Amino acid sequence: MNKILSDTISFGRQYLRTKVGAFFAFVFPILLIVLFGAVFTSGEGRGVSLPVQNLDSGPYSQMLIEILNQTGYFDISEISKNISISDYVSDKSLSLALCIPGDFSSNISSSLPATVQLYGDPTKSSYMVSMGVLSAAIDQMGYNVSGGAPIADIVQKSPGSKVLEPYDFLLPGFVGLTVMISAMYFMTATCAEHRSRGYFKLLATTTLKKSEWLTSKFLFNSAMLIASLLLTFAIAKVMFDLKAAITPTSLIFVVVGAFMFTSLGMLFGVIAKDPESASAVSNIVGFPMMFLAGSFWDLSAAPVYLQAISMAMPLTYLNNGLRDTMIYGNETSAAVNLAVVLALGVIFFVLASRLMSWKEK
Amino acid sequence: MATTDGVVVEVSGLRKEYPPDIKAVDGVSFSIPRGKVFSLLGPNGAGKTTTVEILEGLRTPTSGQIRVLDVDAARDYSSIRKKVGVLPQNFEPFDLLTPLEAIAYWADLFGVPMTKKEVEGRLEQVGLIHRKSIMSKSLSGGEKRKLGIALSLVNSPELLFLDEPTTGLDPRARRDLWKLIEDTKKKGTTVVLTTHYLDEAEKLADDVAIMHKGKIIAQGSPGQLINKYGKKTAIVLVDAGSEGLKELSRRGISGVKDGNDVIVEVGDPSELRVMFAKLSSIDVRYKEMYTRRQTLEDVFLGLIGAKMEEGVLQE
Repeated sequence: MNKILSDTISFGRQYLRTKVGAFFAFVFPILLIVLFGAVFTSGEGRGVSLPVQNLDSGPYSQMLIEILNQTGYFDISEISKNISISDYVSDKSLSLALCIPGDFSSNISSSLPATVQLYGDPTKSSYMVSMGVLSAAIDQMGYNVSGGAPIADIVQKSPGSKVLEPYDFLLPGFVGLTVMISAMYFMTATCAEHRSRGYFKLLATTTLKKSEWLTSKFLFNSAMLIASLLLTFAIAKVMFDLKAAITPTSLIFVVVGAFMFTSLGMLFGVIAKDPESASAVSNIVGFPMMFLAGSFWDLSAAPVYLQAISMAMPLTYLNNGLRDTMIYGNETSAAVNLAVVLALGVIFFVLASRLMSWKEK
Repeated sequence: MATTDGVVVEVSGLRKEYPPDIKAVDGVSFSIPRGKVFSLLGPNGAGKTTTVEILEGLRTPTSGQIRVLDVDAARDYSSIRKKVGVLPQNFEPFDLLTPLEAIAYWADLFGVPMTKKEVEGRLEQVGLIHRKSIMSKSLSGGEKRKLGIALSLVNSPELLFLDEPTTGLDPRARRDLWKLIEDTKKKGTTVVLTTHYLDEAEKLADDVAIMHKGKIIAQGSPGQLINKYGKKTAIVLVDAGSEGLKELSRRGISGVKDGNDVIVEVGDPSELRVMFAKLSSIDVRYKEMYTRRQTLEDVFLGLIGAKMEEGVLQE
């Protein structure tokens, strides 16, 4: 028994002394519970933004908007009747918008099928919840108007001219996430390995400069990620008939994103003295970024402070930009996000080049 | 401070201190002539690696003047980087590159691209041609070190630093590397060799500086050091005993007893043959006769007061 106890304690001691072990035993579950709890808590959150274009002048559309307002879930704003809602959704890269057609009230009055059109990104948690709330509101209206008989259906609409499926909306987030993981994790680990095995010292004896070394890592990451994107896209196209497009801007995003995360990884490599520390540093930054930068869900219904944190995460701008160009075709908004990613990349590159030393103190 | 003609490295008053009060290198001065093998010899922690890393431009000195290949090493190292080759201590090759790939890569980093034939020539030179296409992680310790030397030579350096190149290697691998270093010297390359192997320094170095606790405590050629700090060369008459000593004394040859052996010191090694002839002509009974030549090990023992094994002083 003593041997078993002694072995257990000894193993536990060694396990916990490895930074990776401590991360996955303690930091990782705490991060998950804190992140998920914060994302899905509703207390401090503001309503989900729902721009509504009401083309109907009858009473029932007003009734529906009133019921939606009473739910407290939506923060309703008005879209002018004179513009195309589809263009509006694309131009603003909206993940949610509602259109009430001009015949909504007259159809209900005549007991004809009435519809409302919900635009947006069906992969977003806010979209699915909004769909449920809208459906409940229509049901309630049905009770009020006809004693419970169905009075209207919800038609799901895609932004832009294409009919998009849920996996189309997932693609930009996956691409952004892949860029971050491949470039940042790879670079942090590479720096740590180079330091612990003496490769930096070895390289310092050559004519290679730090900035040249970093540039070569960026070029490799860019080429690898573009190849990965094209391959993933081709497979998804064949298997799922993907509608989202690889635009020239999306390729630029991959390259600039690789530049930003390669530089950020090198910056972390300044802190990480060995491969274990590298893994811990990458995970501590990478995991929250995975969840809070909008790769899997949008944070429009999350608490305000969480949305502020999200805006401080480099991956947010990469994801948003990729979504702008691949889903909404909103090149103006994509350009803004691209500028942010590029600016962050330059800052990280300069900092990393200056702070990293290949030589001994 | 300008280097004089034919001097490749000139060091004066070099100090390297670490907080709070560690003096890794404490006022070291020496110069290295072109085409020679200069060895920094000393136990672990003596300050050898710190000294050479400063000379390699990898560490900043606290004070002192260092000129390497006619430039101020603390300021202008980038201008001579192409002329310097380095095999760092505990060299590890890139695991997932073959020797063939590693040398081609390294040559590119120095801006001296090599053809496949040239790379194979380098591998032939260091005896690794038969292992050219296997991953470096599968090389033995000696082979990895050979690859390290091959990398350090890709730019045909004027000055080559080898920091403990044979530490931990078996005798055969050590001898192979010694041959490589001798061949490199023959081509006119100046070699700075740090080692804690006394026999290595004695065999390879033209000039040896013995370092201890950050200072150079003795410097000169192995012969000069032995002459200055070692005992004289001697002929040992095993088991000659008191009778033998008496007989030698009767013939006017002075000797001393060491146990039951009789030791006859010879002032100059060139007198050995004459003394052997004299002793052979005397009717002294002994089991065997041999020459006891002083080595750097004896010098080291005399200076430091302790033997050294694998870089560790045996106090």
